[in-house]
Amino acid sequence: MAEVILENICKTYGNNFNAIDHLNLSVEDGEFLILVGPSGCGKSTALRMIAGLEDITSGSLRIGGIDVVDMPPKDRDIAMVFQSYALYPHMTVFENIGFSMRLAGKPKAERKKRVDEIAKTLQLTSLLDSKPANLSGGQRQRVAMGRAMVREPAAFLMDEPLSNLDAKLRVQMRAEITSLQKQLGVTTIYVTHDQTEAMTMGDRVAVLKGGVLQQVDTPKRLYESPVNAFVAGFIGSPSMNLFEATLTGDDLISGTFAVRLQDEAFIRRPGLRSYAGRKVVFGIRPEHLYDSSLESGRKYQTIPAKVTSIEELGSEHIVHLNIDAVRVDSGDPDAVEDFGRASNAVAKFEPVSTVRSGSEIQLGLDDVKLHFFDPETHLAI
Amino acid sequence: MTRQKRSHHKLKRAVAPYLYLSPSLLIVGLLMLLPMVTVIAYSFQNSAVLRRDPSFAGLKHYQAIFDDPVFWASLWHTLYFTCMSVVFHMTIGMIFALMLNSDRINPTLRNVLRVLYILPWLFTAVIIAVIWRLLLEPNGVVNSILMQMGIIGSKIEWFSSPETALHAVTFANIWAGYPLFMVSLLAGLQGIPKDFYEAADIDGARAYQKLIFITIPQLMPIIISISLLDFIWTMQVFPLIWITTGGGPIYATEVLSTYTYKLAFSSYNLSQASASAVVILLISLGLTLFYIRYQRAR
Repeated sequence: MAEVILENICKTYGNNFNAIDHLNLSVEDGEFLILVGPSGCGKSTALRMIAGLEDITSGSLRIGGIDVVDMPPKDRDIAMVFQSYALYPHMTVFENIGFSMRLAGKPKAERKKRVDEIAKTLQLTSLLDSKPANLSGGQRQRVAMGRAMVREPAAFLMDEPLSNLDAKLRVQMRAEITSLQKQLGVTTIYVTHDQTEAMTMGDRVAVLKGGVLQQVDTPKRLYESPVNAFVAGFIGSPSMNLFEATLTGDDLISGTFAVRLQDEAFIRRPGLRSYAGRKVVFGIRPEHLYDSSLESGRKYQTIPAKVTSIEELGSEHIVHLNIDAVRVDSGDPDAVEDFGRASNAVAKFEPVSTVRSGSEIQLGLDDVKLHFFDPETHLAI
Repeated sequence: MTRQKRSHHKLKRAVAPYLYLSPSLLIVGLLMLLPMVTVIAYSFQNSAVLRRDPSFAGLKHYQAIFDDPVFWASLWHTLYFTCMSVVFHMTIGMIFALMLNSDRINPTLRNVLRVLYILPWLFTAVIIAVIWRLLLEPNGVVNSILMQMGIIGSKIEWFSSPETALHAVTFANIWAGYPLFMVSLLAGLQGIPKDFYEAADIDGARAYQKLIFITIPQLMPIIISISLLDFIWTMQVFPLIWITTGGGPIYATEVLSTYTYKLAFSSYNLSQASASAVVILLISLGLTLFYIRYQRAR
C-alpha cells in the first residue's frame, strides 16, 4: 500500500493537443479516489500515465515515495483492471489470475495457494477451470479483480470496470468493489464517467474537464459546494438547472418572475452583493424544486412553469418544465440537449404529484439551496 | 388453406434449397466427382484408356508402384518439400507479420515493406520458376554474391546437382508461398486487443513472453487452419518443380505429382498413374478430413 502523488503532470500529443494540463493530485494511502469527467476529459489518459502505459510529457509521479516516471509498468507496483477486463480467452480463470505469478517464476504450489485464496474471497472457486467465454459479465469482472489482487500491489488502478455490465449488475458490483477495497485497504484510483459511481464509491472524487482538474473533494462537498458551473452541472442526476438572471436588490429577476433572496444567501456568499444590478448565473438542483400543490412544496416561493413531459419512475417523477429564463450551458459535452427546446428545466417531484403534461403549474423553489456563479468565468460566487 | 395446398407449399419449401444448390452440385459432379471416380476405376484396370475393353487388374498397379523405389523416393521428397515449405512459410510469415505490425517501425517504411513482402504472391508459378532458374543458374546472381562473400569457393549448380536440387526447389517454393501466411497472420495480429498486451506489461511480461503466452495462442486458430491448407496445397505442387527441374536430376526432385505425370504422359502407363494419383488423393483426403474436423471443433 502506498500514497500516489501527481505533481504538475502534463500530457501533450504530437499534434500539440494537451490531454492533461498540470494535474496535481495526492491520493492518500488506502484511499479510494474517483477520477470522473465527461468523454475526452483525460481521465483514462491520467490513469494510463500512472500505470505507465502512456508516457508522461512533464511533471512528477511518485508511488509510495518512489519517482516512477521513467519506470516500466511492471516495476511500478500497481495492478490495473481494464474496461474490457483484458482476460486472456485461451487461459482458464486459474491461469488468468495466476498469470503474473507464472511470469515471475513462482512455483506452481505457491501459485495455487494464492489463487485459491483469491478465488475464495471473490467466490470464484467453482469457476477456476472455466474459460472467460463461459463466464457471465459479473464473473469476468471478478476474475479481472482477482488478477489485480493476486499481485498484492501498492495501488489498484481501475478504468471504467463496470461500464460493460447491465444496470442491475452494476449496482451490485459497485457495492462489491467498494467493500473489497475497504477490506483490502489498498490505495485505489478508479476512473468512471458515471457520476453515480463517483458519488457512491469513492472517499474523494476528482472532477476533470478538458485535461484540467476542476475540483477534488468528498462526494458530499462536491454536491453541496461545487467550485464552478461545470462541476455543479456534472455532479448530480438529473443535472443542476442553470439559468441567467439579474440581481436587483434582494431579488433575482429573470423574465417574468422574481425570486426574493434571504439574508442568509448574502451572508454565506459575501461576494454576491457585488453583483447587484448585474447578471448572475443561478443554479438549482431538480430535487430542490417542488410541486407547490403538495404539502411539501407549500412553504417555498413559487415561479410559474409549464410541464412539457413527465417520467414516472415509481419512487419519484422526473418532470421536464419550461420556465421563463435563459438556460446556461454547464460546459458538459456529454449533456443531452432537449431538441426543440421545449423544456429548459428538470424537477424531481414526489410520486403523489398529480401534475400532467401540458399543465401550467406553480413551481416551489428552495431559495436557500440556490447556487450562484459568475456569468463570465462560471466560478462559484 | 386447404390440406392439399398446404402439403404442396411444404413440398416446395423442402425442394427449394436443393434447386438452388443444383447448378453447383452439377458442376462439382461433372468436373470433380466423375473424373475422380474414373481415375479410381482406371487404377483397377489393365491398359486403362489405351484399350477399349480393359480387364480387371485388382491391386496389381498399386503393388507395382509400391515396389517402385522411385515412388518411395517421390513420397519422401514430397514430404520433405511440403514440411519444409509449411514450416518456413509459417516462420517467415510470422516474422514479417510481426515486423509489419510493430509500432517501432516507421509507418512509411512499413507500407513500403508491406508491398515488397507481398510481391512473391503476385507471381504465377511459371514466373517464379523462371526467376529462380535465372537467379540460381551457375553463372547467376546467387552464386556470384555467395562467391564474392567467400561463402562458396566454386559455382554450384543448384538445380542440376542431386545434392542441392531438392533444397533449391523447396527454397523457391518457400519464397513463393510465405505472403499468404504473412497476410493472414497480420490480419490476426491486428485483431488481438491492445489491452491484452497492456495487461501483460503490467503483469511483468517480457517481449518473448508476450509472444508465447498471448500472440501465438491468439493466432493459433489461424496458424492451424492455414498450415493445414498449405500442407494440402503444397503436396500437390506441380508447375514449379516441373519447370525448374522436371523432377530431376536422377529423380532427386521427383515428387508424387511429377512421378504421376511421368507415368501417365511419358510412359503412357495410365493405370499405374491412376494408382499413384489415388495415393495422392488418399493423403490429401486424410489431411482434408483433419482440417474439416478441426474447423468443426472450433
